[in-house]
Amino acid sequence: MQVEKFYYDNKTVKWFAYAVLVWGLVGMLAGLWIAIEMYYPPLSMGFAPTTFGRMRPVHTNAVIFAFVGNGIFMGVYYSLQRLCKARMFSDTLSKIHFWGWQLIIVAAALTLWAGCTSGKEYAELEWPIDIAIALVWVLFGINMFGTIIKRRESHIYVAIWFYIATWVTVAMLHIVNSMELPISFLKSYSLYAGVQDALVQWWYGHNAVAFFLTTPYLGLMYYFLPKAANRPVYSYRLSIIHFWALIFIYIWAGPHHLLYTALPDWAQSLGTVFSIMLIAPSWGGMLNGLFTLRGAWDKVREEPVLKFLVVAVTCYGMATFEGPMLSLKNVNAISHFTDWTIAHVHIGALGWNGFMTFGVLYYLIPKMWNTPLYSKKLASTHFWLGTIGIVLYAIPLYWAGFTQAMMWKTFTPEGQLKFQFLETVTHILPMYIARSIGGLIYISGVVLMTYNLIKTIGKGSFVADEAAEAAPFPTEIKTHGNEYWHRWIERRPMQMLVFSLIAVAIGGAIEIIPTFLVKSNIPTISSVKPYTPLELHGRDIYIREGCYLCHSQMIRPFRDEVARYGEYSKAGEFVYDHPFQWGSKRTGPDLARVGGKYPDSWHFNHMQDPQSMSPGSIMPSYPWLYEDDINAFQTPKMIWAMRKLGVPYPDGYEDKCNADLQKQANEITARLKGDKLDIKPQKEIVALIAYLQRLGKDIKAAPKQETTVTGDASVPGN
Amino acid sequence: MRSLFKKIVLPFALVILGTLSALADGPKPPSSLSNPFVTLLAIIIVLLAVVIGVLAKLVIGSAFLKLQKEKSDKGNSKGIATLLTLFFVGLSMNLFAQDKAVSDSTAAVADKAFASGLAGVSETAYYLLGSVVILEVIIIAALLLMLKAFLAVEKKAVEVEATAAVPAKPQYDWWEKINSFKPIHQEADIDLGHNYDGIRELDNRLPPWWLYGFYICIVFAVIYLYRYHVAQSAPLSKQEYEIAVAQGEAEKAAYLEKAANNVDENTVKLITDKDQLAAAKQIFTTVCAACHTATGAGNVGPNLTDDYWLHGGSIKDVFKTIKYGWPDKGMKSWKDDYSPVQIAQLASYVKSLHGTNPPNPKAPQGTLYTEEGGSGGKAAADSTKKDSSAVSMKQ
Repeated sequence: MQVEKFYYDNKTVKWFAYAVLVWGLVGMLAGLWIAIEMYYPPLSMGFAPTTFGRMRPVHTNAVIFAFVGNGIFMGVYYSLQRLCKARMFSDTLSKIHFWGWQLIIVAAALTLWAGCTSGKEYAELEWPIDIAIALVWVLFGINMFGTIIKRRESHIYVAIWFYIATWVTVAMLHIVNSMELPISFLKSYSLYAGVQDALVQWWYGHNAVAFFLTTPYLGLMYYFLPKAANRPVYSYRLSIIHFWALIFIYIWAGPHHLLYTALPDWAQSLGTVFSIMLIAPSWGGMLNGLFTLRGAWDKVREEPVLKFLVVAVTCYGMATFEGPMLSLKNVNAISHFTDWTIAHVHIGALGWNGFMTFGVLYYLIPKMWNTPLYSKKLASTHFWLGTIGIVLYAIPLYWAGFTQAMMWKTFTPEGQLKFQFLETVTHILPMYIARSIGGLIYISGVVLMTYNLIKTIGKGSFVADEAAEAAPFPTEIKTHGNEYWHRWIERRPMQMLVFSLIAVAIGGAIEIIPTFLVKSNIPTISSVKPYTPLELHGRDIYIREGCYLCHSQMIRPFRDEVARYGEYSKAGEFVYDHPFQWGSKRTGPDLARVGGKYPDSWHFNHMQDPQSMSPGSIMPSYPWLYEDDINAFQTPKMIWAMRKLGVPYPDGYEDKCNADLQKQANEITARLKGDKLDIKPQKEIVALIAYLQRLGKDIKAAPKQETTVTGDASVPGN
Repeated sequence: MRSLFKKIVLPFALVILGTLSALADGPKPPSSLSNPFVTLLAIIIVLLAVVIGVLAKLVIGSAFLKLQKEKSDKGNSKGIATLLTLFFVGLSMNLFAQDKAVSDSTAAVADKAFASGLAGVSETAYYLLGSVVILEVIIIAALLLMLKAFLAVEKKAVEVEATAAVPAKPQYDWWEKINSFKPIHQEADIDLGHNYDGIRELDNRLPPWWLYGFYICIVFAVIYLYRYHVAQSAPLSKQEYEIAVAQGEAEKAAYLEKAANNVDENTVKLITDKDQLAAAKQIFTTVCAACHTATGAGNVGPNLTDDYWLHGGSIKDVFKTIKYGWPDKGMKSWKDDYSPVQIAQLASYVKSLHGTNPPNPKAPQGTLYTEEGGSGGKAAADSTKKDSSAVSMKQ
């Protein structure tokens, strides 16, 4: 048979690899920065962009979308060409994809530092960047499918199934969750409110973990692990079953981020049971990886690439077992809102994604530069630094999370809460210090790797276009008598795409649609009224400063939370919250009912110097709120947007809103004046105080029966 | 192997299902498993128990294999050793059954003793659960050792037979079995002939424990949804909250009741409530009357109605006298018989007898005591202090 000659494009892979190294370091240093701020708040230096609330999204976005994102593209561009025996579909698209993605990252970092955020975790970027992401993602898809279609292999390998599922699901998640109504170039409001927004957001958030951090990396594992070990993949059947089960089940599990919240119980239960059912499909991937190494374990001892891959796969197994355990309600009652969750995700991020990326880099770079690695010993040192770093990072946080949860829940025999919230924070500060040391060690390993790779690159010569040859796509595909049924779809990438989309669409649809359509899921409370214009401004500031990253607004129906914060939160209280602000971590206390708890002057002093009002607090100060004015020109637009989204402001309120705003601001400044505090009414702090003082108050005026929940929240349609 | 696993795993699945469905039908006690720490340990216990069960079956299986082999060979003495081991394994199976019982009862214990500790688990429950876990780990270790011993013998035999064909050393035989691995040298048989950039694919069977684990998770999901949303035999969040609050209130009430119960000689106050004094009179006439007579006029013991007291006549002194007694003078300590509140009632009743001038009074003993007025609080407290130091010296 005639053999065709062609060239693999290594240049794009190279650029993505460089991006991985650069953004990895940036993202991890941002993480270290905020880890230190947790016990040394003056590090924020009274400068807005360096406060925890703005740095944290920079850290998460940089690590997820820049470090891991570029890692995905690096691995996909390398493996896809080789698995398809074809050069990438279009070099131009590759180039646009690369530079487009880097521009998005830079824009993301700048806007996040500037406080432009949609206020939804892991989807903080504002609408122009969201659109850019969608466009670049589509280009990537065209490039990928183009390559698959012009492949020379008759069938597509399991790694590519995962790439396809990743592509289609991320597209769906990103588009649905980013639905927002812009009011200016860098400000928009989520189309959804309250409970619905929370459900969509965590359907997205959970599956960003699933389809951005997991499935593409499983694809990478299926290519790089057998290649590096030179062993056949353990079980083809296992690949099939765990692939389909994983993508089908994963999508349902989102509500486990919302256990005990105001989300309807039936949705919470679906989140729990699908998380439990997810254990086996997840472990299928781990087992297929580890068992592939059967008969090659002696190589693991020698080969740094394999060492990294093995620990990565093991961490994947640990995290995917722990996750379902955390979805059990009684465990979640302890872990949620504490550092336990942070420890859990870092096993995944540092162990699975980090180590997998390092393994791939150690494999790729010597190959593309056609030279052995500069130093195996340094790589080995990196491996140990990384491993120790992970352990030192995670264990203190598990400890801190468990301890703090227990302290929150402890009552004195007389029935009083035993610990003030602040006591539970200061108690775990040593753990925060230990964690930052773990992180530092991990980063030092990355620095070592960067040095090692630069040295390798220096000594080799880059092969930009790698020569390869293969037989053309067979005109007739021989089928043996007992061929697997699944081989059928492996010849049809488009059908693969469609079936994947169907598999991932079912779970989301069944959970989300009833929550929007069935009214009993969100019982309304008549006394819950829209925010005043000043409060809306305050809310925007709350979102801009990332308050939701440390303060929840969701009182769960626990004895201790009701004792500490007041009546537990009801679904009907959030109907005007575009976006919802329930939060996912309580570094500070819950704020759902903070309104009226303290006088205005307390908030005034507290935002200026938190330690003056609560000694030992680790909250940074917000001096710029006392200097910057709110943008009153925008108020009518905000009212318009909110009405468009269903908030019942009267018609024509746009013309009167600023008068109301002025009036309320004057009242607050007058009260502050009474406490000898001088501030102009147009300053941001006044709006923020207005918002904080509103929180959780409406329900107090509600007729009793609206807030006592009847047992209707069972199965939809019941 | 496949059939062996069917035999092993299916019964377990059935047992678990049985218990779960039994739970499902139950009327929902305010949950023994409401304490997350207990649940966590209980989950670990059950998991370990399953591991023990599987291992025990494996050991028994391999032991029988060995037994048969030895019979067909010859060695009788060895056969006895194997039988002994079998007996031991049977024992551990029994223990395994007990484990279940223990973990059930622990849950019950933990349920009752919810009050103390940071984690809300009583010490008994904590140590009980902890020791069950440790016991299980020890059993697992023992079983693994035995399994290794048996399999080592088998392997030797196999190696002798296979000789040159298999130079490699399959050390982890149980591991191979539990995953139903195909030996590496037979890999060519299951190579599917796929080749993607040099990556080949094998057609290994799904690891049985993985597959059955998947089934069990699915069954768990069905039962979970059924319990929470169909049978409604498990409390949803809001019901859980109501249960927790009720429990908290009960604990608080119990504590406060105990706290009120917790009077001592320093805090005791004269009780004038009629009902309480009536209760004290009941005790007095049945118990104290033996020495002091029913009227308090005195007989063996001193007269309690006059102005003279051997050990002080204030309510605090009398309380102390009843509580600790004066054993060398014939008055016993009553603190183990009556609660502090009852002693306070008794002391108050005794004080109420003052000046009743019963017939046949015993002659006055001790020193004259005059009740101090309203302003004498401080002096009384002082004297109590002195007295109590005196008491402690005497004791």
